[in-house]
Amino acid sequence: VPATTRDLRLDFFRGIALMLIFIDHIPENILAYFTLQGVQFFDAAEVFIFISGFTAALVYGRVMLTQGIFYAGAQVLRRAWQLYVAHIFLFMIFVAEVSYTVTTFNNPMYSEEMRVADFLGEPHIAIVKALLLEFQPTFLDILPLYIVLLIAFPVMLLGLRRHWLIVLVPSFALYAAIQATGFAVPAYPQGHVWFFNPLAWQFLFAVGAALGYAQLRGTNWPRFWRMLLPVAVAVVAIASLVRISWTLHGLWEGVPGVLLKQLWPVDKNDLSPVRLVPFFAIVLVVALTVPPQPAFMRSAAARPFLLCGRQSLEVFCLSILLSALAHFVLAEFASSVAMQLAVNMTGILMMILTAKLIDWYKTMGRTPVPLPVAGNGE
Amino acid sequence: VTVGGPRALCVAFCLATFPALAPWAAAEECAVPDEMVRAEVALPHLQRRLKRAEPVRIVALGGGSTAGAAARNPALAYPHRLEEALARHFPAARITVVNKGVPRQTAQQMLDRFPADVIAEHPALVIWEAGVTDAVRGDEIDGFAAALQRGLDRLKAHGIDAMLMDMQFSHKAETVIDFDKYLGALHRIADVNGIYLFPRFAMMRYWSERHMFNFDEVAKAERAGLAAKVYQCIGRRLAEAIAAAVR
Repeated sequence: VPATTRDLRLDFFRGIALMLIFIDHIPENILAYFTLQGVQFFDAAEVFIFISGFTAALVYGRVMLTQGIFYAGAQVLRRAWQLYVAHIFLFMIFVAEVSYTVTTFNNPMYSEEMRVADFLGEPHIAIVKALLLEFQPTFLDILPLYIVLLIAFPVMLLGLRRHWLIVLVPSFALYAAIQATGFAVPAYPQGHVWFFNPLAWQFLFAVGAALGYAQLRGTNWPRFWRMLLPVAVAVVAIASLVRISWTLHGLWEGVPGVLLKQLWPVDKNDLSPVRLVPFFAIVLVVALTVPPQPAFMRSAAARPFLLCGRQSLEVFCLSILLSALAHFVLAEFASSVAMQLAVNMTGILMMILTAKLIDWYKTMGRTPVPLPVAGNGE
Repeated sequence: VTVGGPRALCVAFCLATFPALAPWAAAEECAVPDEMVRAEVALPHLQRRLKRAEPVRIVALGGGSTAGAAARNPALAYPHRLEEALARHFPAARITVVNKGVPRQTAQQMLDRFPADVIAEHPALVIWEAGVTDAVRGDEIDGFAAALQRGLDRLKAHGIDAMLMDMQFSHKAETVIDFDKYLGALHRIADVNGIYLFPRFAMMRYWSERHMFNFDEVAKAERAGLAAKVYQCIGRRLAEAIAAAVR
């Protein structure tokens, strides 16, 4: 295994994605107009899943090549377990919030429709369904996806060791089948489906993993990809212009929404090609034009993003909590623009400080300090 | 409404003495900015029937807030109030508003009711109130948008004008339900199809922010009265929007 210097782009962009996920998850948030979803067909979810696949292949691929597939597989499953525990923890907090709100709810016009908490009427089923990942309340849908992807990941690693096509061909076939049939994975309560259809989103994760594994083995970007660069730039530019026209159109009718009738709504559940193609184009552009350790990513200004990107699990869970809290604060007290900005800033600051704290804790744990020599040694 | 001082006394006195003035006072009570009810779209089928002085049917398709059970009496639900208000706007016309509200239905379930509840009624206009149940259930936004689109296509094919109506506003409900994206989908569907969306959510928020109504802290005894008042306001504002679009 060739020694590789750390690819700062992964931490940097994952850190940014985490912050954008936080911002996007606060409803009626003015800043959400300025995140990826306002200017691109894809959003932070794609960035997060792609980079997660990429880093998983880098980290566990290395373990597989040095210590064998069984140890690598055990490590992957341990990570999946951590995510599972985090998901159940977030679920408990969600239940607490909903049951509190519902019991204090007395709006006459809504009493008939306000049955969010129907599941509180059958806790014996709801809790089992949550444990089985079939019950995914709003915003608690991306961790279940990540968990099932990790559970399948050891098989993916084995395939990548042989040849990347062994992984990507079946993966793409499954993705294409989902696009053609629209098959969705059923969830709880009756009639619901997995918000992120794992059978479609696995393709993005697999592509990330294949590229991560290629980087681990020191494979260079072939000439073919370099030739595609102008096409990718054009795709990104056109997609951005179209998407920005939609955002402006939503704010001001005078601006026409280009291709709005033809393309909208863009399917997120099944990861529509309209989202995927511009995303791959931007990955190509970034991979070929941004070096792994550019000067700006080593500057002090980039440090908060790198920190968040490195502690992604903890920061992600925190961001879900914080966006629920932010929503609560805005709905309960005031939702002025100043308040929205304050809430966004506070949340992001807390994410950075938490990442910093965890980073400090881990660094301390990694550097053994010799005991100061006392008078009576051995 | 809590306003102190002699002016309030006078208003109370006047209302008691001249019942004829009461509708005016209630209309002022839930006033909204002009642009909320200025529908810059045409309702050609409705307009034609009104011009020819033909009897006109309007279907109010929707959920619990269309059915109006919260006000305890169908005559107090918004569709009936709309009919009353339209009669004032068009004294010569014969306009009937049919209430087709069924609580707790998704847009798709309402779409399934189209043959019996919409097409069979031969309406000139359908006011489709949707989104609450979809948002409460957290259903996928694409399915919601697709159901609305199929419904609007069907109305167009049958030569029926359409309007959409979004959800009711509530601070408390907002803390656990993500209305935002469903509102966004409704507005965009209206925009893409060039039809009017009655901004009930924004309107009720406007009333709430100006303390014209308090939707969240309501004593049990006052709930039905509040609902009836809000439905009346909705009916009147909607009649203004329709009148503006037809003239």
